[in-house]
Amino acid sequence: MSLFFLSILIIASGGVLPLLFFRQFTLMRLLGATVIGAGCCCGLRDAFSRLADGGDASASFDYLSTFTLAFRIDGLSAFFLLAIFAVCLLSAVYSFSYLSDPRKALGTAVSYFFFSLLAAAMALVVAAANMITFLLAWEIMSLASFFLVIHDHRNPETRKAGYLYFVFSHVGAMFIVAAFGVLYGGSGGFGFEAAGLSQTAKLWVFVLAFIGFGSKAGVFPFHVWLPHAHPAAPSHISAVMSGVMIKTGIYGILRMTGILELYTPAVGTMVLLFGVVSGVLGVVYALGQQDLKRLLAYSSVENIGIILIGIGVGMIGVATDTPLMAVLGFAGGLLHVLNHAIFKSLLFMGAGVVLHKTGSRAIDALGGLLKNMKVTGVTFLVGALAICGLPPFNGFVSEFLIYVGSFGGIALETPVFVLSMLAIVSLAVIGGLALACFTKVVGIVFQGEPRSRAAHAGDERGPAMLLPMVVLAGACAVIGFHPGAFIFMPLKAVAALGLDTGRIAIEPVTQLTTNITLGATLFLMALLIILAVHRILYQGKPIGRGGTWGCGFTRPTPRMQYTGSSYAASILDFFKPAAPLEEDHPPVSGLFPGATHYHSRVHDIAELHLNHMVVDPVLWLFDKLRWIQHGDIHLYIGYILLAIVVLLFFV
Amino acid sequence: MIESVLLWTFALLTAPLFAGVIFKVKAFFGGRRGSPLLINYFTLIKLFKKGSVISTSTTFIFRLGPIVSLAAAATVLLFMPIGGHAPVISFDGDVVFVLYLLGLARFFTIAAAMDTASPFEGMGAAREAYFPIICEASMFMILILFYRLSGGLTLAAYFSGGQPSGFWQTAGSPLLFVVIAFFIILLTENARVPVDDPATHLELTMIHEVMVLDHSGPDFGLIEMGAFFKLFFYASMVARLILPFELGHPALNLGVFSLGLLLVYVAIGVTESIMARFRMDRVPKFVLTSFALAFFATVITLEFLK
Repeated sequence: MSLFFLSILIIASGGVLPLLFFRQFTLMRLLGATVIGAGCCCGLRDAFSRLADGGDASASFDYLSTFTLAFRIDGLSAFFLLAIFAVCLLSAVYSFSYLSDPRKALGTAVSYFFFSLLAAAMALVVAAANMITFLLAWEIMSLASFFLVIHDHRNPETRKAGYLYFVFSHVGAMFIVAAFGVLYGGSGGFGFEAAGLSQTAKLWVFVLAFIGFGSKAGVFPFHVWLPHAHPAAPSHISAVMSGVMIKTGIYGILRMTGILELYTPAVGTMVLLFGVVSGVLGVVYALGQQDLKRLLAYSSVENIGIILIGIGVGMIGVATDTPLMAVLGFAGGLLHVLNHAIFKSLLFMGAGVVLHKTGSRAIDALGGLLKNMKVTGVTFLVGALAICGLPPFNGFVSEFLIYVGSFGGIALETPVFVLSMLAIVSLAVIGGLALACFTKVVGIVFQGEPRSRAAHAGDERGPAMLLPMVVLAGACAVIGFHPGAFIFMPLKAVAALGLDTGRIAIEPVTQLTTNITLGATLFLMALLIILAVHRILYQGKPIGRGGTWGCGFTRPTPRMQYTGSSYAASILDFFKPAAPLEEDHPPVSGLFPGATHYHSRVHDIAELHLNHMVVDPVLWLFDKLRWIQHGDIHLYIGYILLAIVVLLFFV
Repeated sequence: MIESVLLWTFALLTAPLFAGVIFKVKAFFGGRRGSPLLINYFTLIKLFKKGSVISTSTTFIFRLGPIVSLAAAATVLLFMPIGGHAPVISFDGDVVFVLYLLGLARFFTIAAAMDTASPFEGMGAAREAYFPIICEASMFMILILFYRLSGGLTLAAYFSGGQPSGFWQTAGSPLLFVVIAFFIILLTENARVPVDDPATHLELTMIHEVMVLDHSGPDFGLIEMGAFFKLFFYASMVARLILPFELGHPALNLGVFSLGLLLVYVAIGVTESIMARFRMDRVPKFVLTSFALAFFATVITLEFLK
């Protein structure tokens, strides 16, 4: 445990030092990146050894018997710590080149401070062992990330995004506090125990906690803040937020599952259904985005959906006493947590390089970046393949485990059959849509010809930005090719959930990973053979270079290329009820038509309805209650006294 | 094992031949003699002898596209039981692996098309990204039915040994829906009429053919080979489903299987001869039919197998 606290301490000092040295710009960034990175290395070592050797660790501090801070690291915590420290380490390295504007020295130092606070708080959230510690760390995490989102606070849109995030994270925290309140009411202590709670109370705790944690994780329909906050934040912060911070919500859901031991089919069904809706709609909205980082943010909603499908399948597996389904569901969901942390932070970092070099996040304004930005392009391509769940990359492994787990439910009675069928078919649809979404990104942003002058500008420099991306892309390939070496981590985390692991054989799972390696080996062999044949076929042959065949048209311009919007249009049309399209296009008329334009925007129904159904009524109500706010302090004290007296009647 | 490898080689070698049958059938309907049966081999040899012209807009992905899609198609056939014989390799969950490997091939085909900066190829790519989403859903729906019937998640469990004649005995007529659903998937995935018309002259209306406009010479030859293998893969599933007979001797089984394949390819040819390509916005409805059929078959068998 001491190594863990040491790493937290180092990370925190890595946040304070830049504040002291902000006048020396390079030194400050160097200090921030290396010290935070060193702290993460420390924590990474601790988490890894705990996963490898097992054994829980706990520690608690009591301050004047007012409150107790308690920490405990078991398999589940260690698994999340691994992802948190790994992504924070690479983001810290990346930030060295990314935050390169010496005019904003103080802002950069502040950003390092909150970054270290965020990293430390996330680690403390997953290590917390009682409600007070958890909520404390949770609040620090929310506030630190809020300040990171409004890093570019001069931009009004960023401030709006920050405000939205602030509201969402606190409404979410309110639900978590409510859940903990019910838990406290039943168990009578601040510890994470559910002894003495009735089944109904447990269900209440779970539902409240699910809403609270779901709003952090970005579960549809509580995801509204996500596509606003991620694009507003600096890219390495988006990588941390999307890669690991939203996963603390998943951690919360899993921890609650472990505490409550509430394995009824109803709960599993709820989680699964939320997963299906988040997964499908997340990727549909992602496909409709024209802003690269917004697209990636929506794709996080999709991946949270996949994770929840895995967890839901696992819960149903426990409820129906199908151990293999349970283990595969949970392990697949958890492995997807790690995988998504890897490829999503890779993709956000790639988007960051693109933004840094071209100054644009608009997909339809870019193009042809692969030619000048080889490392970014290739690593982004690897990330795209992995996020589509294609072999031989890591996304496939977790989706494969969830598939096999879901098929386990096909042989069971009708309700489970229907749910498993839903899980499988929606995973298939999500896979297909993700492929469409990421071929769009790779095809429009990195391939073809530059669509604007900004897109010409790019060439990549700054090894500190490229190295983390290469490491992450390597991780995608290694986990995808040889998952057998990594599968013990999610299995350890599943064991910590306290399912009846004695009965669950681990062999089928490891067998599955060996199979993936076998299949991938065969494919790579075929690929190498065909590469060799390809070489032979081109031996001594002339290869001419020419323009692209324009089907007879001789004066093509880059503006004529297919755009991302038109690429996605027909698929979005299919999902029109869920993704209404707003077009602004004055028709061309008359013999000498004037200038016209075309704007399109895909609306998010959750955002639309949230405005109608929640924001407007709440604003109306608060407007009516304005008379309460009059500024008289003595009356305010009177309100408090009155409230306490009224509450006394209920206790 | 050796037999399996031989059968796999048989599949690789005869895939272009069977595809030639489609030309013959279409020529018959058009009242022509048509090209020789071996036309595809001649085309391949011709292409392999040539050099290439490559667009200046492209990157390495353009060259990688044909290679990845061919490698995927050849690997996929390793898992396919040819003529009811055990496949070269089979493991639990190989169906999912196979479908995702074909997804990888699709990713690279689309990426190679987007690499050329051509608006036409982008248009084809958008369609190629769209229709297979529905195909994948109905494919998994069929897998759910087959899993329910066999309890396995491998192609070997569905198409080799006593299967799928066992399926016919337990499920009966709902499997007819599956055959049609499979055939629709086959037509869509392999860019045949009525989803796509490989023989049309207008790039605007194509899907697969427009995506490979800029590939030439050996690169294009590899694409053609990949397409033959992929068509063979889907056709062999339908063939095995309609003629699931075991005659006791591997050679006889292979004969029955080849007959089944021939029927499937003739059916493709007949469909192409008597139908026109659907308007693009009608295609999703056509593909959704396969999902509906597979779903219906599954629900019916669910009642039977209680």
